[in-house]
Amino acid sequence: MPTVSQEFRSRFGVLGIIVVVVLSALLVRLWTMQVLNGESFSAQAENNRVREISIQAPRGRILDRNGVPLVTNRSALAVSVDPSHEDVRALLTRTWTEDTADDPTSRELNEMFGEIAALLGITTADVWERVTDVQQEALRPRVIAVDVSMESVAQIAERQTDFPWAAVEEIAVREYPNGNLAAHVLGYTGAISEEQFKNSDEYAGYERGDTVGKSGVERQYEGVLQGDKGWRRIEVNASGRAQGVVSEQAPRPGNDIRLTIDAAVQAVTEDELDKAIAEAHRQGYTSSRAGAAVVLDIETGEVLASTSRPTYDPTAFLGGISSAEWEALNAKTSEYPLNDRAIMAAYPPASTYKVITAISGMEAGITSENTTYSCTGRWTDMGKQWPKWCWKRTGHGTVSLRGGLKHSCDTVFYEIGYELYKRGKEELQATSREFGLGSKTGIDLPGESAGRVPDAAWKKRYNENYPEYQTWLPGDTVNMSIGQGDMLTTPLQMALVYAGLANDGDIMKPHVLKDVLGSEGDVIRTIEPEVLHATGAPAEMLGVVERGLIDVTETGTAKGVFVGFKPTVAGKTGTAQVKGKDDYAWFCAYAPAEDPKYAVAVIVEQGGHGGSVTGPAARNILAHLLGEELKTIRTTDESR
Amino acid sequence: MNKTTGQRILDKVNVPLVAWVAALLVYGTVMVASATSSMSSGNSMLLRHLFGIGVGLAPLVVAWFIDYTRLRGWQGPLIAFGAFLLISPRIPGLGGTAKGATSWLEIADVRLFQPSEPAKLIFIVIFAAVIANMKGRVDTPSRITKALLYLAGAVFLILLQPDLGTGMVFVAIAMVMLVVGGMKAKHFAFLAVAAAVLVGAILGVDAGLDQIAGRDVGLKDYQKNRLLVFVNPDIDPTDAGYNLAQSKIAIGSGGLTGKGLGSGTQSNLHFIPERHTDFIFSVLGEELGFFGAVLLLGLYLALLLTALAIATSSRDLYGALIATGVLGMWLFQILENVGMTVGMMPITGIPLPFMSFGSSSMVTNLGAVGLLLSVWSRRYGAGS
Repeated sequence: MPTVSQEFRSRFGVLGIIVVVVLSALLVRLWTMQVLNGESFSAQAENNRVREISIQAPRGRILDRNGVPLVTNRSALAVSVDPSHEDVRALLTRTWTEDTADDPTSRELNEMFGEIAALLGITTADVWERVTDVQQEALRPRVIAVDVSMESVAQIAERQTDFPWAAVEEIAVREYPNGNLAAHVLGYTGAISEEQFKNSDEYAGYERGDTVGKSGVERQYEGVLQGDKGWRRIEVNASGRAQGVVSEQAPRPGNDIRLTIDAAVQAVTEDELDKAIAEAHRQGYTSSRAGAAVVLDIETGEVLASTSRPTYDPTAFLGGISSAEWEALNAKTSEYPLNDRAIMAAYPPASTYKVITAISGMEAGITSENTTYSCTGRWTDMGKQWPKWCWKRTGHGTVSLRGGLKHSCDTVFYEIGYELYKRGKEELQATSREFGLGSKTGIDLPGESAGRVPDAAWKKRYNENYPEYQTWLPGDTVNMSIGQGDMLTTPLQMALVYAGLANDGDIMKPHVLKDVLGSEGDVIRTIEPEVLHATGAPAEMLGVVERGLIDVTETGTAKGVFVGFKPTVAGKTGTAQVKGKDDYAWFCAYAPAEDPKYAVAVIVEQGGHGGSVTGPAARNILAHLLGEELKTIRTTDESR
Repeated sequence: MNKTTGQRILDKVNVPLVAWVAALLVYGTVMVASATSSMSSGNSMLLRHLFGIGVGLAPLVVAWFIDYTRLRGWQGPLIAFGAFLLISPRIPGLGGTAKGATSWLEIADVRLFQPSEPAKLIFIVIFAAVIANMKGRVDTPSRITKALLYLAGAVFLILLQPDLGTGMVFVAIAMVMLVVGGMKAKHFAFLAVAAAVLVGAILGVDAGLDQIAGRDVGLKDYQKNRLLVFVNPDIDPTDAGYNLAQSKIAIGSGGLTGKGLGSGTQSNLHFIPERHTDFIFSVLGEELGFFGAVLLLGLYLALLLTALAIATSSRDLYGALIATGVLGMWLFQILENVGMTVGMMPITGIPLPFMSFGSSSMVTNLGAVGLLLSVWSRRYGAGS
């Protein structure tokens, strides 16, 4: 009997061949993948496993001129949600579909985030808003709460299984040791906007979600403060969890910068501006809420202090501002606290502008220190049908140009303005521009306004659709001569006008950056003083104006303010009329008159009279600068 | 013949078979240790793997000492027991579900084993008897049909679970056994065409049923997805194709020599799903490279050729068919498991013999070794 093997030899042979063929097929396949294409797969595996995470560079600090820190960094505990966690991603994916019916319901969101929101004292909607923030790098954890209490941190850590998508991390945030001091100059930081992100020139190398300066110095010197990012290559598993660090490159911290701002002067300036607004209220101007003040070093253009009211709290932006807070800061009723009125707001300069009219008139040869004018309170030179009133309805009687400055007599400047109009050369506009009005000063802060110097061409353009209003009329120049009409200036521009008067007619370019410091605290870049406008105003004319301005503080409209003030101050009150609003109070000055060092401009919107509201503020700012005693001044001055 | 006791025992043991299996068990244990090293429960997983090997020695010894020729008389009870095993997960109080299939036997929530694993061995024994009864002449349509009815019955019960992969194993076992059973090439060709048509029809009907029922009835979507991904791996690399793509990256990046044991970035970083069970070969390919894969395939070649040698040495057709069935089971599982990790085969949950973590398959495979030893040790006659 043949054995099984003999009988079925061929069948077992086939079986053996099948075995060899199957294993050979696998072997060939493995050879192809591992030996022939191994490198390509290796690259894929490398990509797969290593994720590069950028490490934010510590942002440079911002110091005042004496090294007092204005903005520093501190670490804060933040709770973040990982958008790449499968649970979170599942919800996010549904919000990204076109079909809104598919969006997560508030019940689903509450189930997911309700507890952690309650733990952090925020709402589920707050959490979801942060998680869905599209202005972030897709994989970057979304910070949902900053400065979380240790107690909350402990609870979240304990309940990691309930919140597997949540993490507590230490993040670097801006710290403001002086609260909101100089908030407008310093600015705030926030996540890079889509617009900024796409500006590849300035923001090359930035990622979505990066913290950048959004306003003020933070914005202006973003490139200096930012530093260079480092990176960390981490191994991750398939669910994206970090397993360890492969390699890393430390970031290069941003440079510290020193500002021209003097923290002490800034503090006094802000305090005085607040007091001026309070004084306005005391005098019955209860609509007054806003204002600005600028203090300059006239020889260098350095901004020693600059403030704006109302102000805001820069810490509100840490870790991202909530939309409710953002809306509150931008509401119409808020008076726009984020705006830096010192450089962004353009006001009629009112009587503080009369120095320009005086110089323009003298340069045109139509007036001089002792040219006399007759003020009856009512001025009808343009025709009886167009009477103009001096603020002093009873009239100043016979008054010189110098006296016109001292008493802020409108009639004197109506006369000069009318003469200038009749000359038809737009000389007043030219002088205004020589003093830098109508153009940006080029200060190193973003968002500056140019103000406006109105002229015939402007009026024609402005009233393009109203042919009957296109002609430049005598009244236009006359109104302009007292700083009203269509004339608009920023507080900084007016401070610069007075600085120029004090600095022999040379207006220095204003700046807030003093120098940039290297990593060892060494100065690596300094801003040199630069003449912005050489007005070319002759010294004798500047002398006339100076004497008039000294009269103002000694015997004129601001004498009550400067009673007992030892240094000589050249100053000017102003009270701007704005349609539908209470008068805006101005005061501009420089001191000491004999050897000028500082120029100051203060404005309080709807504050009433310059002499009694902003004058005292300017006085005390100068008092601080010149080592005089600060005083609460209450005058009942009704002048302009 | 006069033999010492030692020689007699040695006669009953196929030394090469034991050696290859032992080598594979060591290799598998090393790979499971590596694959589980980055898991929080890695140590207990390794212990469970070793426990599975220990438990598997029992069926090995039992099968070895049972005279396989006696099994032929137990055809009826074996069919009943095999059918029970395949139905058991569906019996309330016994079944457990994992990954969409009710393929576990659970009692009081304790997961015991996957009954379809030992059912493979029972099917081999039953099917061997069927073919042996036809004296190895399964070459007429009526005989083929009769033989295939046994297969169809088994596959039907498996698809109830439903477990597509195990169903494929049963089909493969039957086909390999039919090669030795005498089925002709033209019959295989006819069956292949018929199967292709049938699969197409089933998919079509299933899609229709899903539409009518408004939900996923019949074949589960994940099963269809796996098949579709096999046809076109780029359908959706993040979801259904993810396993395949990651596995291919792992193996391909292993290169010639691999990244070293425990240094597989793909496996340690959890990119490979089921890396200690179904995708253990991906870990091996990544960490030990082409050389490691050649070593494994070499061991398998030796194992399969040894099984073939045992089949040819059998004193009867029945024994030869049992050995052939075991060979077919291993061969197909190797092809399917390694094949799926390199994108040659659809992704199914079929373990790699002696390598994958998982006690059910380990115990079954060691039981299969016992069957081979039973055939080998009785090659000169029953009880000799």
